[in-house]
Amino acid sequence: MSKLGVHDLSVRYGKLTALSDVSFTVAEGERLFISGPNGAGKSSLLGAISGAVRAAHGRVEMDGDILSGHSPEGIARRGLSMVPEGRRIFRALSVQENLMVGTGLRRDRAAVADDLATVYAAFPILHDRRHANAGALSGGQQQMLAISRALMTNPKLMLVDEPSLGLAPKVVDEVYDRLVALQAQRGLTLVIVEQSSARAARVGGRMLLMRGGRVVADGDAASFAAHDLLSEAYFGDPA
Amino acid sequence: MSPQPTTPHQIRRRMAATTPVLLALLLLAFVLAATLLGDRATARMAAETLIRVTLVVGFWIFAGNSGVISFGHAAFACLGAYTSAWLTLQPAMKTLLLPGLPGFLAQAHWPVLPAALAAGLLAAALALISGAAILRLSGIAASIATFAFLAMVNTIWANWTPVTGGTSSVVGLARYVSPWVALGWAVAAILAAALHAASASGLALRASREDEVAAAASGIDRYRHRLLAYTVSAFFCGVGGALMGHFIGVINPDSFYLSLTFLMLAMLVMGGIGSLSGAVVGVLAVSLAVEALVRLEKGVTLGTTTFALPPGSQEILIALAMILVLVFRPAGLLAGREIMLPARWVTGRGTSNQ
Amino acid sequence: MSLQILFDALSLGGIYAIAALGIALIFGVMKLVNFAHGQFIACSVFALILPSADAVAVLGLGALPAGLLIPAILLFGAGLAVLAEAFVFRPLRNASPVALMVASFALGILLQNLLLVTYGGRPKAISLWPELGQPVRLLSAEIPLLQLFVIGAVGVILAGLALMLKRTRIGLEMRAAAEDFGMARLLGVRANRVISGAFALSGALAAVVALVLVAQTGVADVRMGGQIMLVAFIATVMGGMGSLPGAVAAGLALGAVSALLQAFLPPEARPFRDAFLYGLVILVLLFRPQGLFASASAKPRV
Repeated sequence: MSKLGVHDLSVRYGKLTALSDVSFTVAEGERLFISGPNGAGKSSLLGAISGAVRAAHGRVEMDGDILSGHSPEGIARRGLSMVPEGRRIFRALSVQENLMVGTGLRRDRAAVADDLATVYAAFPILHDRRHANAGALSGGQQQMLAISRALMTNPKLMLVDEPSLGLAPKVVDEVYDRLVALQAQRGLTLVIVEQSSARAARVGGRMLLMRGGRVVADGDAASFAAHDLLSEAYFGDPA
Repeated sequence: MSPQPTTPHQIRRRMAATTPVLLALLLLAFVLAATLLGDRATARMAAETLIRVTLVVGFWIFAGNSGVISFGHAAFACLGAYTSAWLTLQPAMKTLLLPGLPGFLAQAHWPVLPAALAAGLLAAALALISGAAILRLSGIAASIATFAFLAMVNTIWANWTPVTGGTSSVVGLARYVSPWVALGWAVAAILAAALHAASASGLALRASREDEVAAAASGIDRYRHRLLAYTVSAFFCGVGGALMGHFIGVINPDSFYLSLTFLMLAMLVMGGIGSLSGAVVGVLAVSLAVEALVRLEKGVTLGTTTFALPPGSQEILIALAMILVLVFRPAGLLAGREIMLPARWVTGRGTSNQ
Repeated sequence: MSLQILFDALSLGGIYAIAALGIALIFGVMKLVNFAHGQFIACSVFALILPSADAVAVLGLGALPAGLLIPAILLFGAGLAVLAEAFVFRPLRNASPVALMVASFALGILLQNLLLVTYGGRPKAISLWPELGQPVRLLSAEIPLLQLFVIGAVGVILAGLALMLKRTRIGLEMRAAAEDFGMARLLGVRANRVISGAFALSGALAAVVALVLVAQTGVADVRMGGQIMLVAFIATVMGGMGSLPGAVAAGLALGAVSALLQAFLPPEARPFRDAFLYGLVILVLLFRPQGLFASASAKPRV
């Protein structure tokens, strides 16, 4: 059984169709990149999977359970976590409070403490600044916080929307290194929106190419590297 | 003969121009029906309803176009009512009731029409001054500030006894407001509202309501358009207040406070804040419902038993209806549509090619 | 004299702060400017007495000993607010802030007229804790005992609330939700629980205001919540819409300004005190539309 199944998913905003009949599956432990130009429907796709955006039709399954129609918190409680576009950290809360917001759905306090230790080990800067207001962090640190905050819900599946947005290339390298390490460590399934197909190829994994609300290609991210010049012409700067 | 409109844009403009005409005809039919078919009480109800049309259409000029809810428009009605009282009451009466009035007001004994105009103008002036401050605030904060403004005016009116009579009523206003007088002002308000809505300023204001960011990017000075609408709007609320005073003959500050604010808001919301027709239809619908409720509060005799609703149930039912409308039909009865003639009528071709 | 003004300012400002918190808590989590809050206060006042149209109130709940009365009336306020949320605001969860605000105004009118129908329109004399009216000598001033109680209670409530928001799970979730409700939900925070919690707190705070008003004025009047709600609104706007510390600070400031106006305005201008207060506030907003106490993290989102 696939970890995540998306079937004929469509999203409309008024008359505008942002996503039309998208279908794909993601296997347990897989890393899937979703790439494509602005307006391709990538964020709408993640929104519809996480329950933040209402789908016009189609359905989403996780481990065979139908997620569609549940509230965002209901979906989060089933083990799906989201690192949204723009990170959306709680700026007025401290770093540690940010990390704890998502632990309300967990009953095992000891496991929460363990995860906190894991996250702090992976991102020592967050530990150093755990009592600081999250709004005072740099962009890269905020991205790490957003990823860590999602991890604290103990997800089986994590959606990450443009982790490289607005960050210096060196910082992006660091973010991806940690993300990949954490995935291996915890057996996570990852779905990552990444505008740069070159970046996706370097990190490695499967890739969906979207345009105009549809999936136009599906394959190994490295195989897209051959078309790098072409895709850069279409999709803008590599990271 | 005017040339045939050809572009869809011209046709739309023609259709839009039929809205105030149709609304005026609707109100005319309402008055005719009430005066010809009903008793004196029905005629009074018709006059009262048309005064409310003046008030609510005035209110709509601001709220409908800007999307900002004002709780302060009853204050303009208050100022209008007292202005007309100050100007039209017998000077002898004023020395008795309102000893603190300045000399020229104490001596004034104006005819009612200039007094009504003065009522509107003074209300508009107050709107210009207060709006200059309040409308700098963002939507919700502006609403709260209008509420503070209403309370401020009410506090002043209830305590400035030598000039306003304080909480005791000012009596003896000439009761000249027949259904026809009220109809005249209601139609004037509708025409002004339609003209304003079709003006560049009205269009710009509605554009800023739909999409604040885009409107700002296209260089729309929202504050100025809001202030203009607020001022025009207050003029008709001021006139409406004067009409209210001369309809009942008695005024006191609390007739222009929360109940009036609520009634105006309820009518606008139920009819639909998105269109001028919605404002008018809301007044008619709620007024007819209120009339039925008032008769029920007095008691209805069925056979040998009399049923009567307790006083206050009117507001309870209107409030309930309003909440239900907000939940189930948030855009109101008319849902933002205007009453207008269909395209094939205004093109004069008999059939539509659209 | 000046000590007297200080105590007046603290007790009045404290009550304004409590009322403003009741408004800001709900605005924070669901962007609702709750125009029914004044009626939550009025209903809590009338919950003390038995329904009748008589001029002198017969105490119902109000006859309980304070140890029972206070929790009972707080529970009543909280329950009323939670019911209002469930029946009026939950169906409007996805509506615009303007529609929410208009609905709350309608709810306020509804509650006020329910009170009118049940209790009649005349204000009623009501005697709650008359022994608190006694003055106490404190240094150079005579302070009513009630004022000391009010100041103490406000202090305890503010501290308790701060502790709750800072240290408890629901407090953390409320603060997160106030900043970004959608994100909080994506992290598994239950919307209904947070919103009900905010309403319950807000209703309980309204009940606190009700108790103080009754003890201070000795009357029950269906209109009595209106003035204080308005001041609370103003405090919320000045505090920067939804910022809780801002609301408290602005409430205290408004209390201080009120007490000063009351003390230093010429007697013939005193009835206009509130008009001065509202006017002053509009002026302040003119120069700082984002609120007096708005910080970067609590800027208006409307």
